[in-house]
Amino acid sequence: MTVPAQKAPEAGAPASLRPARPRWRETLGLLVRNPTAAVAGLVLLAIVLVAVFDEALAPSGPNEIAVEDRLRPPSWAHPFGTDDLGRDILSRVVLGAAVSLRVGFLAVGIALVVGSVIGLLAGFYGRWVDDVLMRVMDVLFAFPAVLLAIAVLAVRGPGPGNTALAIGIVYVPIFARVTRASVLGVREEVYVRASRSVGASDWRLLTRHVLPNAAPPIIVQTSISLAFAVLAEAALSFLGLGTQPPDPSWGLMLAEGRGFIDLAWWLAFFPGMAIFVTVLCFNLLGDGLRDVLDPRQRTLMAGGGR
Amino acid sequence: MSDVLVSARGLEVHFPVRSGGALRRTAGVLRAVDGVDLDIHRGETLGLVGESGCGKSTLGNALLRLVEPTGGRVTFDGTDVTGLGRRALRDLRRRAGMVFQDPFASLDPRRTVAQTVAEPLEVHGLRSGRRERAARVGELLELVGLDPAVAGRYPHEFSGGQRQRVGIARALAGEPDFLVCDEAIASLDVSVQAQVLNLLRRLQRKLGLTLLFISHDLSAVRHISDRIAVMYLGRVVEVGPASAVGAEPQMPYTQALLSAVPVPHPALERSRQRIVLRGDVPSPADVPSGCRFRTRCPHAFEPCPGVDPALQPVGAAPGHVAACHLHGVVGGPVEREGTVASAR
Ligand SMILES: Nc1ncnc2c1ncn2[C@@H]1O[C@H](COP(=O)(O)OP(=O)(O)OP(=O)(O)O)[C@@H](O)[C@H]1O
Ligand SMILES: [Mg+2]
Repeated sequence: MTVPAQKAPEAGAPASLRPARPRWRETLGLLVRNPTAAVAGLVLLAIVLVAVFDEALAPSGPNEIAVEDRLRPPSWAHPFGTDDLGRDILSRVVLGAAVSLRVGFLAVGIALVVGSVIGLLAGFYGRWVDDVLMRVMDVLFAFPAVLLAIAVLAVRGPGPGNTALAIGIVYVPIFARVTRASVLGVREEVYVRASRSVGASDWRLLTRHVLPNAAPPIIVQTSISLAFAVLAEAALSFLGLGTQPPDPSWGLMLAEGRGFIDLAWWLAFFPGMAIFVTVLCFNLLGDGLRDVLDPRQRTLMAGGGR
Repeated sequence: MSDVLVSARGLEVHFPVRSGGALRRTAGVLRAVDGVDLDIHRGETLGLVGESGCGKSTLGNALLRLVEPTGGRVTFDGTDVTGLGRRALRDLRRRAGMVFQDPFASLDPRRTVAQTVAEPLEVHGLRSGRRERAARVGELLELVGLDPAVAGRYPHEFSGGQRQRVGIARALAGEPDFLVCDEAIASLDVSVQAQVLNLLRRLQRKLGLTLLFISHDLSAVRHISDRIAVMYLGRVVEVGPASAVGAEPQMPYTQALLSAVPVPHPALERSRQRIVLRGDVPSPADVPSGCRFRTRCPHAFEPCPGVDPALQPVGAAPGHVAACHLHGVVGGPVEREGTVASAR
């Protein structure tokens, strides 16, 4: 039989030489081998656990006032000291974790769901769907973020739920753009056409093929946005628009502690540290995920590089 | 029941060529497929050959309505495909499938072989129940020469040839009548090409499939095809029995294509004369007037620039047609010395 030689040599390479594609267990394994991201993940896990079991973990109630214990520096009785009303700062940081993280997760959840759906539709259908949806996103994105959040809060009033909504709305265009860009690449993949060729509906293409393959950048964006959302909650509370006193939130505690900065540094320091560590860990985890979810990076790492 | 399964009449796929700039104005049209007439008979393998960019893939996609035709008609088993509604279109997708060129790109990396092969079963609700579906997937994998035990693996664990077998299994899952194989062996290792080619031939006979085998590899096409269609710049310019087109090509373009194929016989190979065509293929966005091959044809003469030749019977073999003025002048057959006869 004569089948002449005419082929792309690299196409015949053994499967092991091709970039391995991301898969869950593999991803977790590689993430563990990236020490920075692994540590960041563990710290975040600890913070989330603290937030979940806040009431059980806090040494005292958040609003238990003890006037005789006002402005005590860190000690065995109050490891993080006490504030101007004699409230235990450790307890307030622990309970503030619940508020800050709840607002962060809720905000990013809103942005993730709404933004991804918009980006998915815009990227997949293109044409006028893309034009209309992305122009709306451009407009939303053009507003200064804080101004937009302030406007939402001014209309709906302060409070954790509305703070999350405000931050979520601000982040929608970011998720829409990231998702759209990723979908534009996946949409052209032959396996999407192949699936269409056997009769798969748009819904099936979107949910079974496009979204799973477009997910890595969205996952990375989620992690990084969580960091920014915690910061944004702090900023809005600082401005008096987010969490309202006497409820503890890291941002609010930072704002309240500011006035005592040269008198009692611990008031602002510990909530500030909590914000710093959380934001840093979300960012490090995001960077780690970015490396691990990138197929090219993955081969390098799995191949013993780095 | 007619013996033609798939038929194209005056089929056109024109892509808008957009100029750069914000306004995205349409600057012209790219005639990827430009008036194709073609019948594919039930149970046959039709080879489709032509240079890169001549519109083979676009034609194959348009026959399955994976690309929307901008003109002309496609009928599948007697029904006009161009106006199908959603359900009818889905049924067409079950009855007509496609095998893609690059087996590394055509399988979703995040889905197991079983999930990929089972997709048509799920989409068309063929075999309800996990058990029956898994059993059918096993059958299909066996049919294409794979161990059913690999069903749970992911595509990156396979070689190119194995992946292409998975792709074929997927295409066969809906028990189609018609399969378009678009360069299905082009990106495989040479040794594997032969295996996959033989697999396709075996399946075609066993299942009574009708195959459109698209390739720019003439040897493979001659090996597998009952008939061969030659495409040039968006148009089918010669069709006939594989033996006739292979041995006695009537259109100068086909002659040139064939002359470029090495002959596996030293004496014949030495006497083989290559016909080297002048110039480049014109752009499908700027198709020459009259006969579209005239700008490169060694035999071009008076009628060529003015009149677009239609397919008409040529040569001795029945069913052999070509679009060329050398085989008759405008309006009727005419002899012209020193043309086709000498080229033979
Ligand atoms: N979606 C599209 N939009 C615009 N132009 C296209 C599109 N698809 C194909 N074309 C153009 O149509 C022409 C025919 O392309 P096609 O892929 O059908 O050729 P082909 O014969 O299959 O080539 P090859 O042998 O390289 O696969 C080419 O000029 C190509 O650039
Ligand atoms: Mg092609």
